Amino acid sequence: MSGTTKIKAKLKDGVVEIKALASHPMLSYQEAERAKKEVNFITYVIAKVGDKVVYEASTSQFLSKDPYLKFNFKGANAGDVLELTWKDLKGNTDVSTTTIK
Amino acid sequence: MINRRNFLGLGLGAIAVAAIPGKLSAIDFRETKPKAWTATKVDEAVKEIFGTTATTEGSINLSAPDIAENGAVIPVSFDTKLNATKVAVFQDANPESAVAVFTVHPDAVIDYAIRIKMQKTGTVTVIAEADGKLYSVSKLVKVTIGGCGG
Repeated sequence: MSGTTKIKAKLKDGVVEIKALASHPMLSYQEAERAKKEVNFITYVIAKVGDKVVYEASTSQFLSKDPYLKFNFKGANAGDVLELTWKDLKGNTDVSTTTIK
Repeated sequence: MINRRNFLGLGLGAIAVAAIPGKLSAIDFRETKPKAWTATKVDEAVKEIFGTTATTEGSINLSAPDIAENGAVIPVSFDTKLNATKVAVFQDANPESAVAVFTVHPDAVIDYAIRIKMQKTGTVTVIAEADGKLYSVSKLVKVTIGGCGG
């Protein structure tokens, strides 16, 4: 499980806009119980350009299935690589990268 | 010419080294504030995360639908010009209140969007901490079909 997040990174007027779509079932405690599956959801997301953190979120089971995340940041250039990592309750991680356009 | 395999290896090493200082500055609120995620009242969750519940209304723009036909996918977006260091999203429709807590790093521009689940009609609240003060904004979202398997 790696590199499954779809990311668009666009630089405009000095601000980079990221639109990311992670691929994850995001089963809440109730949903998991009903579906007779194990609870699991993304708990932590971090995005970096180089070694600089540009976005960081701790998340709960109430993000929708296949979470969509939009965020903005400054101080990056076209051609820089954005690395987005998520971690879920079971300890799975996913690292996806994209080049800023 | 540098051997491609060695070159890639070097690149990976560099990433691993670079990741260490990043880890130190990062905060996973699930680990540092475990109680915030099991709190069943918005106030309790706010207190766990920010240490207080005294907030000032405004200074944040929150956008969410008035009526959500599908509670499983509710777009919530917010932006603020506040020099905030921490922003959190809550709702009062689900068993627990906290949805997400964002750590705002120096280069971040707070113009964020997420999609959330709500099992019934409830209020979405966004709270930002800036210069030691808390700012909040809330919006009622009517949910016609619940989104937590309901």
